[in-house]
Amino acid sequence: MSDSFTDSGAYVRKFAFRPFEGTRRGRIYRLWAIAWQWWIHEWKRSKAVKFLIGFLIFTFVLMNMFLLAFKDAMLEMDPNLTTNDLLENNLLTMIRGIVTFGISFYVETGDGSSQFNFGGTSIFILILLVMVGSGLIADDISNQTTEIYYSKLEKHEYVVGKFLAFFIFGNIVLTLPYVFEFFLLLVGLGNIDIITALPVLVHIIVFTEIITITYSAVILGFSSLTSRRLYAGLTTFMLLFTISMIVSSLTYSGDEIGYEILFDVLSVLLLASYILYGATTVEYFSFRGVQTINLTDGVGLESWMVLGALFFYIFLGFLVVVVQVYWRHSK
Amino acid sequence: MTTEIIVTDSLTKYYGKIRGIEDISVKVPSGGVGFLGPNAAGKTTLIRTLLGIIRPTRGGGYVLGYNIRREINEVRDRIGYVPEFNTSFIPDTTAMSFVAFCARMNGLSYPESKQRASDSLYYVGLGEERYRKLGTFSIGMKQKVKLAVALVHDPEIIICDEPTNGLDPSGRVQMLELIRNLQTDEGKNVILSSHLLRDVEQTTDYALVLSEGKILAQGNIKELTANRRSTVSVKVKSKAEDLIDALESKGMKVWTEGTYIEVEKALGVEKEIFKTAFQLGIDIRYLGSRSSTLEDVFVNLFKEQEVQIQ
Repeated sequence: MSDSFTDSGAYVRKFAFRPFEGTRRGRIYRLWAIAWQWWIHEWKRSKAVKFLIGFLIFTFVLMNMFLLAFKDAMLEMDPNLTTNDLLENNLLTMIRGIVTFGISFYVETGDGSSQFNFGGTSIFILILLVMVGSGLIADDISNQTTEIYYSKLEKHEYVVGKFLAFFIFGNIVLTLPYVFEFFLLLVGLGNIDIITALPVLVHIIVFTEIITITYSAVILGFSSLTSRRLYAGLTTFMLLFTISMIVSSLTYSGDEIGYEILFDVLSVLLLASYILYGATTVEYFSFRGVQTINLTDGVGLESWMVLGALFFYIFLGFLVVVVQVYWRHSK
Repeated sequence: MTTEIIVTDSLTKYYGKIRGIEDISVKVPSGGVGFLGPNAAGKTTLIRTLLGIIRPTRGGGYVLGYNIRREINEVRDRIGYVPEFNTSFIPDTTAMSFVAFCARMNGLSYPESKQRASDSLYYVGLGEERYRKLGTFSIGMKQKVKLAVALVHDPEIIICDEPTNGLDPSGRVQMLELIRNLQTDEGKNVILSSHLLRDVEQTTDYALVLSEGKILAQGNIKELTANRRSTVSVKVKSKAEDLIDALESKGMKVWTEGTYIEVEKALGVEKEIFKTAFQLGIDIRYLGSRSSTLEDVFVNLFKEQEVQIQ
C-alpha cells in the first residue's frame, strides 16, 4: 500500500487493486449470506430481544422445577399415570402455550383432574418474533438498501433469504429450546420409554416449524407493506392479539364455537396442533370456560377447515410479500 | 482497442402507460461513458433495466456479452452499482460488516469478503473509519461506502448513478477523482449517470444523451463538441445592428445571444471583425473566442428537440 496525494489535495489511500481470481460461490450460499447477516444483526441490535429470550429460558426453568417437584406426588396419587404421560401432557401443553395466552397444567388426582393455570408464553413469543421480524423488509424499504440487494440478487432470492432469516430465528427461539426441553425432561423424569415418547418429539419439531412458517408469513407480510418497522410491528401484534381477544369474547356469547374461530391465527394454530397429533375432539379454553369442539362429526367446525385456514394465512402472507417485492419495489 | 461493453436493441420500459425508456439501441464502448440527461430522462431506468432490477417491456441487450434477459446473474456479478438514492444502509452496522456482506451476496467467500471489504474501504478513503457504524457517517462518507460496495467484488463495469448528489464541493472533487482513477489506474469501465454536465465532461470520454426516455445523441465527447460551431463573441458600445449587417454582407454567419454578437469562427475572422467595426466607427467592448462545451451541445440538442415537437 502507498498513500498518494492527488492534484486537488484530496487524500486517497491508494493500493494495488487486487483482482478477484477466486471462484464465486453458488446461489444457495448467497441466500444463506442474506439470512445469516440479518440474524446476526438483529441479535446484536436489540437488548430487548436478548431479554425476552432470557425470559423464555426462565419460564422453562420454572416449568421444569414445577414438574419435577410434583412428579413423585402425582405418580403416587394415580397408579395409572406413567412418566411417559407426564412428559407428553406437559410438553404438549407447553408447545401449545406458544399460541395460547394461558397455559394449563393438569395434575391428576385420585378424585379427578386438577388444573393449574399459568400465564402463557405466547404473548412474549409474539412480541419477540414481531420485534425481530417486522423490520426485515420494512428496514430495507426505509433505508433504501433494496436497490443494492436487487443489483446483486434475484428478487426471489431476496424473498427466500428474508424468510430463511426468520426461519433460522424461529428455530433458534422455538424449535431448539423445546427439543432441548424434551431431552431435559427425558433425563429428569427418568424411566421413560423413548420409543413411546418419540411422537411427542416429532410433534414438537413439526408444530414449532409450522408456527415459525405461519408467523414468518404474517409478520413479513406486514413488514413488506410499510417502510416503518414500528408500524409493521404494532399492526401485526395488535391485529393478532386483538382478533384473538375478540374471538374468545364472541365464543362467550354463544353455546357453540363457530367459524369465527378461523379468523384467529393463534386459535387456528392451536387447533392444528391437536389435529396433527391425531385428536378428534378439542377442549378449547375461552372466556366462557372450557368448550369441547368435535372436529370430525361433520357438524360445524371441521379439521379440514382449520388446516385450510392455516394454509390460507400462510399463502396470504407469502403472496403479500411477493406482490410487494415484485410489484411495488420494482417501480 | 475499443470494444463494446453494452449493446442494446430496442430496449423499452413502460411503467403502465408512462414511458421510462423507449427503443434504446446503443453500443456503449469500453472506458468511461457518461449517461447524460435532465431529471426523468430515463437514465436510471436504463441502468436498472441493464441490472435486471426491472424487466424491460420489450427489446433486450447484452452486457459484456451476457444476455440481460437470460444471464442476468452473470451480468450482476460483473457490474458494481452505486445507486442514486441517498441510502442510509443499516445504521447500526459497521461499514466493514456491510461491505463484506455485499461481497458475500456477490458470491465471495467469508474470508475473501472481509479482506476485500477492508481493501475497498481503504481505496475510497474510509480505511480508518471502517469499524464505525454507518448511522454516524456523513452523506459524503455514505457515497464512498456505496462506491466501496460497488468495487468489493471486483466488477468489470462500475455504474455510478448521480454519485455527487448531496456532496459539498471538496467531496464532489474527491468522488470524481476516485471515479476517474478507477478508469485510468485500475482499468475499470465506468458509466457515470448524471445531469451535471461538468461531472460527465471531467470523467468520461463518451456520452450518451437521453431525454424523455429516448437517445438524443451519442458519441465521443470531443466529437460531439467539435461538431458544434465554435464562435467569436463580440460586445459593442452601440450600432450592433450595423455591425451584424456588415458582417453578414461579407458572408459570415452572425447571430445574437443576449447582448453578445456571435460570429461563426473561421480563419482571420477576428481581424475582419475589427476592420469592419473600425470602418463603421463602432467601439468594441469585448471580443473573445468561445469553444463549444458539452453544455452547449446539451442545450442545443434540447432546443432542437423542442422545435421538432412544435
